[in-house]
Formats: sequence, C-alpha cells, structure tokens
Amino acid sequence: MDHLVSTPQFLHDGDFLSVLKAHGYEVAPRLAEAAAKFQHELGKGGIATEGTTVLAVKYKDGVAVAGDRRATAGNLVMYERAEKLINIDERSILAIAGVPAVAFEIARVLEHSFKYYQRSQLQEMSTAGKVRSLSKLLKENLPLTLQGVGMVVPIFATYEHADDKNEGGKVYFYDALGAQFEGVDYAASGSGSLAVRSVLHYLNTWGDKPLAKYNESEIVVTALRLLDTAADSDTATSGYNPKSNIFPLVRVITKQGIREVPESELGRVYRSDV
Amino acid sequence: MIEEPYRWIEAIANRREYIEDQLRLGSPVVLLNHADGLLLLTVSRETRKIFEIYDRVAFSALGHPADIERMRLVAIDLAHIEGFNRAVADVSLRRLVNFGMAPALKTAFEQVFSAPYIVKMLLAELGDEPAQDCTLKLDYDGSFARSEMETREPFEVLAGTAEAEKAMLDYLLEHDGDPRRSLDESLKLAAAAWAIGMATAQDGRNKEGEESDTQEIDPGKVLKEALKTRHVEAAVLDRTAPATRRFRLLDEKEVRAAVKDL
Repeated sequence: MDHLVSTPQFLHDGDFLSVLKAHGYEVAPRLAEAAAKFQHELGKGGIATEGTTVLAVKYKDGVAVAGDRRATAGNLVMYERAEKLINIDERSILAIAGVPAVAFEIARVLEHSFKYYQRSQLQEMSTAGKVRSLSKLLKENLPLTLQGVGMVVPIFATYEHADDKNEGGKVYFYDALGAQFEGVDYAASGSGSLAVRSVLHYLNTWGDKPLAKYNESEIVVTALRLLDTAADSDTATSGYNPKSNIFPLVRVITKQGIREVPESELGRVYRSDV
Repeated sequence: MIEEPYRWIEAIANRREYIEDQLRLGSPVVLLNHADGLLLLTVSRETRKIFEIYDRVAFSALGHPADIERMRLVAIDLAHIEGFNRAVADVSLRRLVNFGMAPALKTAFEQVFSAPYIVKMLLAELGDEPAQDCTLKLDYDGSFARSEMETREPFEVLAGTAEAEKAMLDYLLEHDGDPRRSLDESLKLAAAAWAIGMATAQDGRNKEGEESDTQEIDPGKVLKEALKTRHVEAAVLDRTAPATRRFRLLDEKEVRAAVKDL
C-alpha cells in the first residue's frame, strides 16, 4: 500500500542550483583529505587569501554598502584592488568577507539563480526567498567551512519594494554555517568589523540623529570614516591610500536601484570630511 | 520505428498535416527593428507568448501552450547553464538552437509512437550593433532558419500558415518606411502586420481553395475588433538598456494607447 498517491513533480521550480548539480556541479568540491593537509599549510604562514571589512548601513533612502580593497594572505598583501561588493541584481548587493575564491563562486551562482528564477517562473523571487537562497549556498559550502578552509561570511543588502512600511532598505548577515540574521540598522563583516560595529552602535545610539535618518552624503562620509577607523587597528583592512589613489567601494541602493558613488565624489569627500 | 519505411513516411506526413492544422489559427507574432533595437509584438488571449530567455535573447511562439512552455524552459535551462559555466557573451542563439532545441524537436517529431511538439517559434538575439542582430525561426519538426537582419529586411514574422506569413511580409515590405523609425511607429506597423496575418489565416480557414485577397483587409478594423477581447503584448530588446539585460516587456496600457488609432 506504499505510495497510494504520489506527489506530482513541478515541471519546473526555478531552482538553478539543482539544475547545475544535475550537470555535475559542486559549490564546494570535496576536499576531505586534501583539506586537512591544506589546513596544515595555512598554519605555516597561509596561502589562502582573505578579504576583509565590508559594511552595510540603512539610511534615509535605502542602504549604503561599502568595502575596503585589500585582500591578504596572512601578512602578505595579495591584492589592493579587490572588489568585495558584487551586484547580484538591479537592487541587491552581496558584500563578501572571507575567502574570495568561494565567495565569488557563491556570488556567481546567486546572480544566475535570481535571473533564472525570474525568467522561468515569470515573477521575481521574493526578498525572503533571495535571502534564503544565499543561506542554502553557504550551507552547501559547509564541507570547506568546517575544514577551516574557504569560510565565507557575507552581507546581503537589498531594497524591498512593498506597498507598506516593509518598503525600504534591508540588510542581512550570515554566520559561517549559513544562519541568516537581519541587521535592524546595520551589519559589518570581516576582520575590521568589530571596530565598525562599535562605532555604528555609538553613532546610532548617541549621535546627533539615528543612522536611519542620515541623507546620502552623510552616510557616504560615515562609511569612509568607518573604513578608515577599521584600517587604523586592522592591518588587513586598507583605508584610502593617497599614493596609489585607490578608494574603497561605496554603493547605495535606493528605490531607483543601485548607484556606485564615483571616485571623483569619494575623493572630494576625503579631502573635505575624512 | 515502423518496419516498413513507406508506412513511416506516411505516418510522418499524417503527423505533419495534423500539426499544421493545429497551428493554423495561432495568433501571429511580428518582429521589427526600431531605432534602439528590436521589437516583438502580438495580440493574444490571456496566455503570454513573448518571453525573455537570456540577457540578449527573446523567444516567441505559437501553438500548444504546454509545448510552448516546455520549449521555453528548455531554452532557459540551456542558456543559463552555458552562461554560468562560461560567460554571458558565449550564449548565442545559434548554439541554443542548433545544438539544443532543434535536435530535441526533430527527434520528438520523428518518433512516430510518441507525441510531437505542436509549436512554431521565432527567436531573436540582439547584437552590440544593429549589424549583429539576428533572428531564428524554428519549427515543430526541428527545421530552423537563421538570418542576420543586416543582410535582408529588418523584420520577421510568425503565423499559422505560410500564406499568412507571406501576406504579413508583403505588407511590411510595402509600408516599411524609415528603418530608424521610433518605437511608437514600429508598434503601429507591427500591430497592422499582425492584423493582416490574423485575418489572412482566418480567411484561409473559411475559404479553403480560394485565394484570400489581402487588399480587402483593413488592419485598423481587424485590430480594433481584436482588442475588444484580446490584449496586446509587446517587448523590446533595447540596446540602450542600463543593465546587461536587454529585454523589457512593455506596459500593456501604453502599447494599447500607441496602436489604437491605426
């Protein structure tokens, strides 16, 4: 009397990851034995690159997202132009801290997943669905995370369109195992995040006005100052380097979509306010 | 396979006749260029017919809704797997159709003991320049014809009968005008061509054996009548789009306003 009624399969549920897996793709390649050896190598001075300090803060018009540009491997500076903010769709940004190799892969799958879902299902995935997709991908990455290799702790920032008070910027952050948390006012991740969070807490609680009331220029100034603060105590975070003229990345997500704050504007802000 | 080859051929011929008959009254689709890219337009009952497949690839079809849905999903799957594994730029219409969709259709058509797909398709790919735009027509039996829009007139049509397609192409050739026409002008031209196609297919059904006279068809009148019970669906592949996604479905009310006074 098994299976008197079998559950019908959806012809198509819009899940890109399962399509990829059917074609033999793995988010986190199985590295069981190799990982243990790799871990040993890491202990000897590190060959895994890590990206640091990203933050997202809700302000009057939406969310501001910023990230420094340094990627390090132990005490070695790997790259000074790392881009840790990835546009996932027209109004969502993934800010990555952790191992870039895995983080970029997750970002790529995520970006394709949202487009795939919308094109096949003819409706956009809900914000809750998008947040959950990232959580699922991070859980796929568990083997690497648990081995101490390839940990990713991202921030997902988006603008939710709704007809009620739910409309506005949203910030979600994740732990290494993929649990998702909503940042009520802000979130920061990476080695410099503690400094950033401390300052944000101070500003939000005892500053002139809460962060949610800041306008765009105020939030841009704040973001640059925060990264500078983090760079002061964390060698793995870079502030603005006038010699090489490399700026952090700062983007804002509003009802109109994503806008990158251009370097010319960042330069001006640095000279006057930072 | 049937043992006697002749009986197989007979079965295929029957199949073809059956499918052609099913496709006859499908609502036509018109593809035109305009100043900023390509436009697809149809006037249909509630089911959608024009879809986005990938960043620069659009799909339209007529036929059985469930078969249209399956072909659409096949195209989307193929495009996204390829785009993910390689890059967006590597997803081309030629590869999608030649290696993916056409073989599947031909096999389904020739397996006489299983069901064929009752569908005709028109796909379009927007290039970086107008010279790189191309269209591809794909039939239920897997036959396909790809054309670069630069080498011929910048339009393509899909209709239920060859006769209706010819009538639409003739109309478009005659009324083409400035190839850099605006979107509104292209919408009007496309809607008129659709009306010609729909009326021709319907006339052909009513008077089999007789030639239908396209001179008699008043596109404005046909369209007005159709718009009472149908909605107009139009989409563009827009070279000026801010993001890499070029496809945009146009707002039905705006399109209706643009075409109502033909």
